[in-house]
This record gives sequence, structure tokens and C-alpha cells, in this order.
Amino acid sequence: MSRVRLSMILSVVAGTAVAANPALADCQLKLGVVGVLSGPAAQWGIALRGAAEYVAAEANKGESIKIDGQPCRVTVVSIDSKYTAEGAAAAANNMAAQGIKFILGPIGSPELTGIKPIAVRNFMLVMSDSYAKDAIGQQWPLVFHQGPGPSGWAGPIIKFAKEKFGMKSVLLVAPNDQGGTDIASVDRVAYEKNNISATEEYYQRGTTNFAPIITRIMNAKPDAVDLASSPPGDAGIMVKQLRQAGFEGPIGRLGGPGYEEIARVAGGNEVLKDFYWYEPVFIDENVQGIAEDYKTLMHADRPENNLFFQWVSATRMVVKAIAKAGTVDDTKKVAEALRSLPVEDPNIGQGRWIGQEFFGINQELSFPFGVGFVVKGQLQPTLRVEAATGK
Amino acid sequence: MARPRLDVLPSKSNAGETVGILVIAAAFIIPALTRSPMVYSVANQILIAVTAAFSVYIMMRMNLLTFAVPTFMAVGGYTAAIAGRSFGITDLIVLTLLAFAVPALFALPLGALVLRLRGVYFVLVTFVLTQITQLVLFETPSLTGGSNGLVGMPAPTLFGITLADNQAVLSVTTALALMGVIVTATVTRIFRQHFAAIEENEVLAQSLGLVVWHYKALGFVIAAGVSGLAGFALVNMLLTAHPSSFAPLSSVNYIAYTIIGGKSSILGPLVGGCVLVWASDLLALQGEYSQGLFGFLIMVVVLLAKDGIVGAGAYWLHRLRPNRAPAMPVPASASFGPGDRT
Amino acid sequence: MDGFIATGLIGISLGAQYALLALGFTLIFGILGVINFAHGGFYVLGGYLAYAAGHYLGISYPLAVLAATFGTAALGYLFELLVLERVVDDQLTTLMLTLGLYLMMSTGILVVFGPQAPDFKFPVSGVLRGGGLYMPIENLIVLGVCLAAIVFVYLLVYRSGLGRALRALAEDRQVAAAQGLRPKLLFPLAFALATGLAGLTGALVTPVLSLAPYLGDPALATSFLIVILGGLGSVGGATAAAFIVGMVEAYSAVYLGGSKGALALFVLVLIMLVVRPSGLFGRESRGA
Repeated sequence: MSRVRLSMILSVVAGTAVAANPALADCQLKLGVVGVLSGPAAQWGIALRGAAEYVAAEANKGESIKIDGQPCRVTVVSIDSKYTAEGAAAAANNMAAQGIKFILGPIGSPELTGIKPIAVRNFMLVMSDSYAKDAIGQQWPLVFHQGPGPSGWAGPIIKFAKEKFGMKSVLLVAPNDQGGTDIASVDRVAYEKNNISATEEYYQRGTTNFAPIITRIMNAKPDAVDLASSPPGDAGIMVKQLRQAGFEGPIGRLGGPGYEEIARVAGGNEVLKDFYWYEPVFIDENVQGIAEDYKTLMHADRPENNLFFQWVSATRMVVKAIAKAGTVDDTKKVAEALRSLPVEDPNIGQGRWIGQEFFGINQELSFPFGVGFVVKGQLQPTLRVEAATGK
Repeated sequence: MARPRLDVLPSKSNAGETVGILVIAAAFIIPALTRSPMVYSVANQILIAVTAAFSVYIMMRMNLLTFAVPTFMAVGGYTAAIAGRSFGITDLIVLTLLAFAVPALFALPLGALVLRLRGVYFVLVTFVLTQITQLVLFETPSLTGGSNGLVGMPAPTLFGITLADNQAVLSVTTALALMGVIVTATVTRIFRQHFAAIEENEVLAQSLGLVVWHYKALGFVIAAGVSGLAGFALVNMLLTAHPSSFAPLSSVNYIAYTIIGGKSSILGPLVGGCVLVWASDLLALQGEYSQGLFGFLIMVVVLLAKDGIVGAGAYWLHRLRPNRAPAMPVPASASFGPGDRT
Repeated sequence: MDGFIATGLIGISLGAQYALLALGFTLIFGILGVINFAHGGFYVLGGYLAYAAGHYLGISYPLAVLAATFGTAALGYLFELLVLERVVDDQLTTLMLTLGLYLMMSTGILVVFGPQAPDFKFPVSGVLRGGGLYMPIENLIVLGVCLAAIVFVYLLVYRSGLGRALRALAEDRQVAAAQGLRPKLLFPLAFALATGLAGLTGALVTPVLSLAPYLGDPALATSFLIVILGGLGSVGGATAAAFIVGMVEAYSAVYLGGSKGALALFVLVLIMLVVRPSGLFGRESRGA
């Protein structure tokens, strides 16, 4: 029985391999999306998939990729990586078998850990997004980072926050897995560099009622609390319960986008009171243009999560690099082209490559970003900050 | 609740074990047939899943449902990772023995505690163990790398040859799975009657002079060792020992492989692992619908084939051979009729 | 000292929520012998039904809670009647079926409502303060309703004809059936009661905390922990254990931190089980 099954697998795989063979079809560029599409972090993957499909549609409309004068059709294959190392590795292997060379994602730290050996083995170019401390590095020359982690933006944001709120101590709260510890510990260093004493506190992933943790935080009497990479739902409850417990100081969230959801769960700006957060993209009319364009091209609303915009700019960079390199197979050439391209986006603006200081390799895209503030219960206009230098 | 046990292949019960070993050994020829990373990936995943499911199968022989598979997989996997990283041990044979022996030794004192529990209490405690495992991994960063796990262990070697490429990784996984199936087959064969007696009625077995505790502990320890092999294979495939690979709810998958495949034959975990891993890989293409479709698949199989795929297959095989009809086992659906419940 | 009392208050409100959640889980096991893996799913569904009733139909919150309770109960009733009933005696099969249902429910919720937390607030806000202690009014109301619901379940189980019949079935199905009780009618009802309780808990608690498609896992894990501690199938045990878990969780998280506190709780339960293998209030367990 199992032998039959094995031969079935072989034949199915053989079938897809034939279909994916570029020599038999017209020029085709397949972009692989490896992102978490199920479970608690599903919104990250959904934003990524939306961005990839949009940029593909955009490229097809403008016929922006031509190989030997022939316009190339861009398609997107997305596979759920389930937020595990195994899931991402399996997805990457699946893509390798389909001859897909360009991977967008994954997003979570365990996923990125799982995908890297596969990508190296199969010479895949990976445009990842993880705040892990070892997200990119010299040993993975084909792995890029679509935007900086806290090592890039935490410093500048803390400067603004200190100016506004003048805190002297902060307590960082995050879940106890890699998605929490790798961010909170980097944030902590950034706070300390700004002469703010910082301590870390971790809660068990899956906690639903934070009242005991809040009591512990209140006992520590910090000037400010930073929710780091706590998921927006968790962050929202913590803000609400902190305020109920009588915490008056500013609350930050240097971990990722999610202001709307946090405000919704917490109960609005009055509850947030004094709040500051990292906004991966400074959203002005120009950036909003992507959302409108998405509607006309895709006949649907864009994915709600703001990482969508960041993924659009990163995917556009990859597509541009492929067009410049003039190949849909040779990832080394495309990587070279990508490194040499000026970092710019028609909607998002001018940026730069960074990463040398923190990761030892300059393969991190850095675009202008935003710092959000709620002061005394009033939402402030987002501050635009020039692309982080990572220094 | 005591249903007649459906012994699917009464006259040739050795056949299941032999076929199982042969099928897994057959995976050695995959590298000669194809270079497709997809085939390698699916084969690796299936072999690891099946090895882990064998450990559920061993416990099922004694009517014990265990969730603790990820716990022992973690012990085996982290043992191999630490041995490679901190002690420079790369010899495949040594690593394999460690990945089997350390979880087995670990299971001995643990078994003394939890095997006193019967039925559902045992089930629930093994579930708690998986939760504790995660927290212990998080809270011991100096040993296990904490939430970041351990990366960068050297590739294993065999007689001086480094086993690092796709083919070698699959061969290592195959060898570990083969060891898993041989251990499982041997143990369940040798102690077949003892286990069956415990499964039927533990109290009766005890009163008839069987030292039940010995056999339960033995089964538990062996099952832990087999899980450890699966954990080593997983860590070797990913080159990483990461807490997320041993998540509490992953235990549900290994149980599903065993039950969906059929818990009364060693072929059950094998078939269940093949079908469900393959299905799960296909379904991952469906994005956010994947989990739901997987759930639907489980429900359909359980409702249509109550004794698993292998059980149903054996039943139909018997039906198709008219001369054996009198010896036909009781079909599952007839084992309790309306008479039982009115 | 204030901190110590404040933590105790937190423990009590956690305990009341956990008790209501775990009662359904233990009832299903006690009466049907089913380990309901979808229990956490019904908790989440209850939250979303209440949210949808308020948001799309404009029903006031108390009525939305009732709607969610009856909605989840109805789904539980149908699931038992149409799917579980035929195989209810086979613990492994029912475990797989409830697991499949759970996966389908969470997927359905994710697809219909999206991954982000919706705007689902408790209609009353405000905090009572005094002498260094504080208690949000919403928590107080939820605590009150939880306690009332627990009392209701007690009266139902121990003082009503239906309860007597259900307890008889839990005690010895053969004898109960021989005396004329009809499992075929009572089992779906029992299942509906339990899933309705999970839905009620979800509808009450999620607006105070947050509502998201993936909250079923922790709800299930908590239910597990409580029934292990309290003794499977024991209503009194589950209630007592829920308050113990709430207290231990509160004190250990406050004094040890979130991650170590959780570890302490699990280890405590493990030790407990070794000392008293059938839980604090358990009778001899029914076999697997």
C-alpha cells in the first residue's frame, strides 16, 4: 500500500515539475510566498500574500519584467508555513520542487530558522521578515531582510518618546518564546543606551488574563511599560488592565504594527492615554495610493495589517532586481542586482541598505518609517522618521 | 465499553511487522530514484511522523493513550544537538544510541510516577508533560538555548563520511525510522501476550500473577526511546533544535496518525503517517483553510473507517475472499448494536 | 499586604471564570465519557456569536450573551446527535471527532471574522477603588454571573429530574438504561448543556479580555488542568480545583513571573496527581 502511495507522490511531483518547467511554457516568474496563514499569527501571512499578489498583478499589467525581450508572466504560489520550522522547511522544499527560486517570507523566527538550510541547499533568494537576532548574516548571502528589526528603529523611537514623556525606567513585557525574547532583549539595550534603566518580564504564550502579570508590573513601579512584541490582542488587554490597575505612565510597544487592534481591544485612545509605537511605514496620501490601487487591481480591500505596505515595497524591490538582472533562474545574479539597486519606492520613498553593524551584512531594507503617539488620550499625527541607519 | 478487539490479521500477524520493516527500508532507494527536493521533504516528514507514531502505537498495545511524544522527542533531539555542539560528537551510531538511550532513561523515573495513573488520568498527565516540556526549554537557556533553540550543530558522520546533503539527510532519517520500526516490532512481538492481557483487563492480569508494572514500564521506556529517535531525525533534518518543533499540540498529530491508520496493526501508524502528512502538505496550499480541511478529513476517515484505514482494508480483504468468510472478524459497526444502548 | 489581598481578588475572579469553563468539560466526560477537544472552540464560538449578535443584529449585550449560550448549545446538541451518538462509547473515536470539529470551528471563525480581534466591549466600564485595592466593575459583574451560573448548574445537576437522570447515567449506564432512562435522548441534552456553558463563558469573558480565533487552545489547556486537579467527572471537584488553579496562577505569576509561574502551576498539578492519582475529589476513574 505504501509503495503505491510513494509512486503516487513521485508521479504527482513529476507532473508538477513538468508543468513548472519554464522551457515548456512561455516565460514565467513564480514568486513563492512562505507565510503563516493559520493560527494566531495568520494576519502577518495574509498581509504578505496580499502584497505579493498585488505586486505580481502590477508587474503583469505594466509588463515590467522582460527576459530577452519577452514579457514574463508573474504568478504567486503561497504555502502556509504554520509558524513552525518544519512548516517553513516543508513549504520551501515544495517550492524548490516546483522550481521556484524567489521566496517572500517567512515572518516568524522559528520559520526563518527552518527555511534557511533549505534555501541554501537550493540557491533560493529569500526576502524574509523576522525580528530574530540572527535573521540575516554573512553565512546566508541570499537571505535578505524586508525591513529592519528593533536594532534599526528602537533607538530613534526611544529618543522621541523620552523627549515627550521623560521616563527614567521602563519594564518590557513580552511572551516567553523567541518571538518575544529576541525583540524585548534588543529593545532593552536600546533603552539602556538612552540612559533609561530597563528590565524584562516574560509571560507564557497563550495567557489570556494578564491581571496577575499586571500586579507584578505595578509592584515593580516602572515609569513606563513597553509591550515589545506582545501580539496586539495581548497588548490591548495589558493596556486596559494596566490602566484599570491605576498605571498612569506612558506605555510603548516597540515590536510591530497593530495600533488599531490594540486600541480596539483596550477600549480606545482614552484608555491608551500616553502611548507610543513603531509604525513600519509612514502612511501618507502617497502610500494610501497603494491601497486604492489594490482595490482597482484586485477588486478587494487590502489586508488590514500595515505590514502589507512594507511587503509591497520589498516585493517591488525583488521584482525590480529580477528585471535588472534579466534572469528568472540565477538567484546569485539577482542578489547582486538587488544589492546594487538604489533603495526607493514610488509610494514609500527613499531608503537605504543597512545591517552591517548588527548582522555583519548590509542586506536589510530600510525605508522611512513612522512613530505613532497618543498623548493624553489624543491621537497625534504620526511622526515621519527618515530611514533608520542601524548605527 | 469493552468492545471485542478487532484482530485484523489473526493468522499472519507476523506479516504486518515484516511488511512495515520492508516498506521503511525501501525508502533507502529514494535517493537513487529522484533528486526532487519535494519527494525528499515529504519522505523525511513521513518517516519522522511514522517513527513518532510508533511510540503511540506501543503505548496503545497496553490501552494507554499518550500525549507525551513531543516531550521524549525533545529529549532525544536536544541530546543529539547538545552532543554535537558542545561535545563534538558527530558519529551517527553514537548519536543514535544517545538519542534512544537518554529519553529511555529519562522515562524510567517518570514512568514510576505516571504509570500508576489509569485511563484518562494518564492521558491528561501526559498532556501536562508536553506543556511542562515547553516551559522547561524556555527556562533553561544555558543548556537548551531557551526560546531560540540550538542552531549550528555539525552534520553527523559515518565512518568518516559527512552526511550533510539532501540524500544523506534522507538516508539518516530512513535509518532512524528503520531502527524505530524494528524496535517497535520486536517489543510488541515478544511481549504481545503480556501487553494484550494488560489491554484486556489490567486487574485480572495482575491477579493472575502478571507483574503488570514491569511490562508497562518497559513499554513506556521503549516508546520514549523510539520518540527520541524521531526527535533526532527531526533535529537532523532542520539542523536546529527549536522549542516550536516540540509544541504540545503536535502530539495530537502523532495520535491522529496512529488512530486514522489503525491502532491494531503496526501498519496503522505507517499508513496513517503517510496519508495525513501527505494530505497536510497538500492542504497547506489552501492557506487559511488548511487546518479546517485537515479536521474534516480526520472526521470523515474516523466515521467511515472506524478501525482505521488498515482495519478497514483488512476487513474488505477478508470479505473479498469468500472461503474465509466464516473467520471474518466482526465488522466494527456491528460490534455494538442498538441493543447495547436501549 | 494590599498586594497580597489584591492578588487574592484576582485569583477569585480567575477561579470563577475557570470554574464555569471547566464545568462543561467535566460534565461531558462524567456523563458521556467523551474528552471534548472542541471545548475551547465552543468558548471562542460563544464570544463570536455574542459579538455578531450585538454587532450585526444590534441586540443588547445581555441578550447577545443568551443568544450565544443557546447558539453554542444548539450546535453541541446537533453534533452529539448527528456525529458523536453512533460512536459515543469509543473514547478514541470521539476524541478524534471532537478534534476534527475543533479544527473546523477555528478555521471557520478565522475565515468568517478574520484574524484580528473585533471591537467587542463590555457595556459597563469603570473601576471601584478603595484602600489600595481596585476592582473593575465589569469583572465584578462577570464574577457575579459566573457564580450564579455555577449555582444554576448545581441546582440542575443535584436538584432536578434531568440532573438525577444524568447522574444516574454517569454512575452506571447499563443500570440506568435498564431502569428506563434513555441515553439517546439525554446524551445530546447533556452535550448541549456543556457546550452552552463553554459558550456562555466565552460570551461573558471575551469582552472583558479579548476575542480572537485562536483562544481555544489556552481555554482547552486550562480545562484539562482543572479536571486533572479536581477529578474527572466531578462537578464539585472541578469547581474547587478551578479556584485553586486561579489562586495558584495569580500568586505564582505575581511573585515568580509569568513564565516561571506557569511552570510552578504545572509542576504543582503533576505532584498533586502523584500524591492523589484520581484528583482531589475524584472517585475511581472510569477506564479509558
